[in-house]
Amino acid sequence: MNFNPSLTARLRIGFLILFTLLLAVSLIGVGRLFQIRVDFEDDTSRYFQLELEAERLNSSFVLEQSAIMPVASGGPPDAREFNAAADVFDGSADRASSLTEGDTEIARRLRRLTASEGEWREAVAAPRLRGRAPPASLERRLTRRVSASAEELGTSVRSARDEVRDDARTDTRDTTILVAFGLAGALLAALILFSGLINSMRAPLARLVDGARRLAGGDLETRVEVGGPVEIATLGQAFNEMATSLERDARERDRIERMKDDFVLTVSHELRTPVTVVKGFAEMLTSESKGLSASQLEAADIIADSAGQLQKMINDLLDLARSDAGKLRIDAEPTAVKPLAQRVGRHMRPNFEEKAQQLTVSVEKDVPDVEADSDRIAQVLSNLLSNANKYAQEGAQVRLNAQQVGRRVEFAVIDDGPGLEPEELEHVFERFWRAQSGETQAVGGTGLGLAIAKSLVDLHGGSISADSKPGKGATFRFVLPIASDSEGRPPAEQPGNGRPSAAETPA
Amino acid sequence: MTRLLVADDSETVLLMLQRRLEATGYEVSTATDGVQVVEAIESIDGGAAPDVILLDAMMPNLSGVDALKKIRAEGCEIPVLIISAHLDAQEPERMIAIGASGVVPKPFEWDELISRIEELT
Repeated sequence: MNFNPSLTARLRIGFLILFTLLLAVSLIGVGRLFQIRVDFEDDTSRYFQLELEAERLNSSFVLEQSAIMPVASGGPPDAREFNAAADVFDGSADRASSLTEGDTEIARRLRRLTASEGEWREAVAAPRLRGRAPPASLERRLTRRVSASAEELGTSVRSARDEVRDDARTDTRDTTILVAFGLAGALLAALILFSGLINSMRAPLARLVDGARRLAGGDLETRVEVGGPVEIATLGQAFNEMATSLERDARERDRIERMKDDFVLTVSHELRTPVTVVKGFAEMLTSESKGLSASQLEAADIIADSAGQLQKMINDLLDLARSDAGKLRIDAEPTAVKPLAQRVGRHMRPNFEEKAQQLTVSVEKDVPDVEADSDRIAQVLSNLLSNANKYAQEGAQVRLNAQQVGRRVEFAVIDDGPGLEPEELEHVFERFWRAQSGETQAVGGTGLGLAIAKSLVDLHGGSISADSKPGKGATFRFVLPIASDSEGRPPAEQPGNGRPSAAETPA
Repeated sequence: MTRLLVADDSETVLLMLQRRLEATGYEVSTATDGVQVVEAIESIDGGAAPDVILLDAMMPNLSGVDALKKIRAEGCEIPVLIISAHLDAQEPERMIAIGASGVVPKPFEWDELISRIEELT
């Protein structure tokens, strides 16, 4: 049978059992103590009466003796007085006898007393009352026997009374100890019960905590074993339902992401072919210009330019789609920084000259090789320089610096263009984001350059950041790891002390 | 005059390549899949063999990569440039390992394409 009471039921049962146990132990203990007390009082009063009767027996025997032998008056035995004393004696003996119930020792002593007194009456009192003296030795012996018996009865009764008192003490002590043990036992039982209750919750709760942590850690296949009290079991079921739902959503999201990536990859790839053809033919027309009118040549130029932009955009989209799909690979190897920076500077120079801007490439002396895919880093640098070129005004200053910072090499592209608003800075690395200010709105581009730059730098294990103040220009920095076999400057030396000095190549 | 054999499954790309290469001064023959390339090489038989072959990596029937393997297996030593739209960092090494002289990315940078052809002639 699968008995699985709820937490509330378990608590109720626990409290009920505890209450019953405590009540039972208390009632039994109190009842027992009460009984001991009552018995003690009964016995004590009985023994007091017995003692009283024993005294009375003793004194009435003395009266009997003085009635048959009136020493003081010296007169004859007084039968009337003797009979009165004997009545008192017999009455006392009867009362005492009725009080000896179950007390054989006292009963025996009492019987011996009455027997010896009866014998004395016959052998001593009766002759004396008739005026004859019994033999002195017999009288002495019998009289002493009665007195001794009476004395023994008194002693017995007193000792029995003491015994009863001692017994009552012992019983009270034992019962108190018993009740104390009983209460302790009941509390222990309750403790075991409650710890069992807590234990029955602990394992499933621990499983839930563990499950929640694993789920939070991204293991969406996590399910917990449902168990424990109903409430905890329900919680476990709810947790599993939540995990199932999360997993389903995540799989759906992954599927849609994959579909999107595949879609972008396919579309970009399919777009390439016609763009290649358009660009190819347009370039052909512009390169063999004979037979074309000036306006036709201009049109061919525009077609070639636009196709070129389209092609660049498709390449960027493909790079991003590949990056998203985890298919963008880099071939990192030790790469010299200076030739790379100079190559990109040379390649970009015509664009800067067109806007009468000054491009300065400066690479710190002895900068170590970086672990990088040179084509990809060239692409990052071109994207950054291209942005500076596009956004900065005519005649602006643009610098490309490279220097060692710790175990890394920092590249910086610095312009003194219009700069970016703080809220714009937050978005610069998002794809399709472009500066919105009126001044820069006219600038062309896909809005993908910085997103690609970030993807590529991330793939290299580096990081990229932007820093700018409106009207104060913008600085884009990224760092790349130093090639492991490169003899870099020890990182302990403070970077940035020596300004980049070598390889100044003003445009 | 330098002779080129150009293979691409897209007719328009092929036509564009042919026209531009001819305008640049090459003699161009074309193929639209790997099978035609292999046939063209097999049918040379002492005739005018191409000096350089441009092979699109991905084509129906027989891909450029497979066509390259096949003509190399048949003892053809003509330099081959593989045109690849799926260029990743490791691709040039792989292509050179199976006998290509180099890889040019698609879409083309025209000057780069021409200079790669010039290197091989």
